[in-house]
Amino acid sequence: MELVIDITRDDHGSVISVGGDIDLYSSPRLRDAIFAEIDRAVARLALDLSKVRYMDSSGVATLVEGLQHAKAAGVGFKLVAPSPKVMRVLEMTRLEAVFEVGPTP
Amino acid sequence: MPSNCASDIRLEVRSDPRLLASVRGLVREWLASHEVAPQRVDELVLAVDEACANAIRHAYHGRSDELVELHLRATADELMVEVCDRGVTAPPERVDRRVLLPPRPEEVCPGGLGVQLIHQAFDEVRFCPGSPCGNRVTMRLSRKG
Repeated sequence: MELVIDITRDDHGSVISVGGDIDLYSSPRLRDAIFAEIDRAVARLALDLSKVRYMDSSGVATLVEGLQHAKAAGVGFKLVAPSPKVMRVLEMTRLEAVFEVGPTP
Repeated sequence: MPSNCASDIRLEVRSDPRLLASVRGLVREWLASHEVAPQRVDELVLAVDEACANAIRHAYHGRSDELVELHLRATADELMVEVCDRGVTAPPERVDRRVLLPPRPEEVCPGGLGVQLIHQAFDEVRFCPGSPCGNRVTMRLSRKG
């Protein structure tokens, strides 16, 4: 399923809603979107991953790079409602505890 | 060594990441047709995707005009998936299972994560860097017990 990215912005920060498959083909586009929001110097960035149907290690690396870039820029970074598929891959790579995770932005 | 056993499915896939979704779909259907449990199917599909992605990214350095070969073979005892490329030989430390997952995010590298995911999904994994077709990873799932 094609990767779908929607971005909403308000006074609190940005929310990037992600749907579909995050793989070697689509993860660069997600990375670009994440970095662009962080570089806008928003206060917080939340990634809504509730509709992600598939994620591979390039997706994991994208999330990790996003976290690192956000930390370096002083931007909050949170994963919102990650789908069971996303959580499973984060658990398999033992990185689930690295991220702030919550049900809402 | 070329396999003399007939594979259920032999594919030559152009090394274009855009095709990975189609490969995943085919592998998923093939596994389901052999009655593999759904959660197991997810992990196995991910592992095969990782093997193909590693061929594209590391063996072919991202070139999309090369070929990745897949063999899918089912016997009474096992399901086997083999991924071959004719690219740059993987260095041993890249495919060494004993490399532990790094605890720190700044040490994360996608290729290494992929190898870990392959080992976690399949019962037996054999990497043959520098085999006649560049690199070959043979992944086996036992059907017994």
